Amino acid sequence: MTTRSVKRLDELTQSVPPARDLWPAISAAIEADKAANAALASGARRFGWRPAAALAAAVALVTVGVYIGKAISPPVTTTAMQPSTHAPEQVPTAFERDANYRKQRDALIADVQKRLQAMPAAEREKVSHSLQTLRDSITDIEKALGRDPANALLQELLVSSCQEEMRALTAVREAGNQET
Amino acid sequence: MRPSKYKLPMSLLLAGALPLAAFAGGGTVNRTVQADASSTVEISNVSGRVDVRGWDRSEVQVSGQLGDDVERVDVESNGSHIVVKVVLPHGHNGDGEADIEVKVPKGSTVEVGAVSADVTSKGVLGTQRLKSVSGEINADVSGDDSEFRSVSGDVTVRGDGKPISLRVSSVSGSLDLTNGAGKLDVVTVSGDARATLGETTEVRGRTTSGNLTITAKLTRDGRVDVEGVSGDITLHLAAPGLSTEIESFSGDISGCLAGDKVERVSKYGPGTRLNIRGVEAGGPRVRAKTLSGDIEICDR
Repeated sequence: MTTRSVKRLDELTQSVPPARDLWPAISAAIEADKAANAALASGARRFGWRPAAALAAAVALVTVGVYIGKAISPPVTTTAMQPSTHAPEQVPTAFERDANYRKQRDALIADVQKRLQAMPAAEREKVSHSLQTLRDSITDIEKALGRDPANALLQELLVSSCQEEMRALTAVREAGNQET
Repeated sequence: MRPSKYKLPMSLLLAGALPLAAFAGGGTVNRTVQADASSTVEISNVSGRVDVRGWDRSEVQVSGQLGDDVERVDVESNGSHIVVKVVLPHGHNGDGEADIEVKVPKGSTVEVGAVSADVTSKGVLGTQRLKSVSGEINADVSGDDSEFRSVSGDVTVRGDGKPISLRVSSVSGSLDLTNGAGKLDVVTVSGDARATLGETTEVRGRTTSGNLTITAKLTRDGRVDVEGVSGDITLHLAAPGLSTEIESFSGDISGCLAGDKVERVSKYGPGTRLNIRGVEAGGPRVRAKTLSGDIEICDR
């Protein structure tokens, strides 16, 4: 291979042919792609009813499931510890809590429910209101995060609010242990 | 007065009734045990009142009135560890009220656990850890590493102006600290919290919906780190050359430091912030963040 130095752009070669002809392989690939798409289209025409039927079946299953669920579920009672009422789709997936956290929280809430039942009515109302405030705060932050998932302030507030909720639940649960 | 012929039978009848009253519960308690000057005294009482008093003697004295539902008061001494426990009958349904006063050596560490009993403490120089569920806590504090916790009861704490490390928390009760100094960790969910502090090195605060007010004189390297969701935060921090890192998602930022220095976090989204770089690197600094609560900040 010989080398030569150039001083101006127009000294460069105007066209450089490839080492081998690439077109036959490209052409073959395009044809194969066309054939595959045509086969798919004819298949879709032949089985065009299947997605619609599957969708209808899924809707029917969900409807039946909801109906059965409503029929067998216990009547809703107003308790001090209402579950979070926000729609789950409002929470960005990245901020959903892991299974271990949810398990521990559920266990804490079950203990706290018992503790609340044992409290005098006025105190129960006061504490329940505070716990609900915490839960509402978390919901508000999650909703805001749904609109602005990259907001560092909201992320920070969500983490600390969840920690605070666990801390408050633990405090209420421990309050029951002080009785002698 | 004319002597009565019924005097003797009446006296006999009253004397016979006394054991019945004791059997029905209630009565008084009066016990004294020896203690070290720096003993740990642990007190538990469900309902009624606990008054703790520091005194100069190396003794713990327990006295008070017991309600009808109270079985007894145990006072156990194990060297420098004294336990005072109001015992209720198993499966009790009544109030189980006991009003007790516990005098402790003033250098003692005091731990109190109460449910609905109100707790007061005066003259104790050692560490105090007072916990109540719904009862109020009212304490003078001098000991380092002290802690006051309540679920729904209000907490009032008075410091003596000497720097100590103090933790105060409540779920729905209000918190009020005066004449504190040193380090403070304050947490509330829906109750309001207010702290007035002298020379302060560190404040950490957290509120959900309660309002949080901190008035303090920060040391040269003092730090304040507070966070809220919907509760308002008011900071009056005497600290020349204060650095600020303040941000609210939808609340307002105001105060003598704010003025026209408050800026929007983003051109297109919500949120305001107040970032002021202090005169001196490593100087006093405040960091405050809320979701919708307002933040007021002043450096005088």
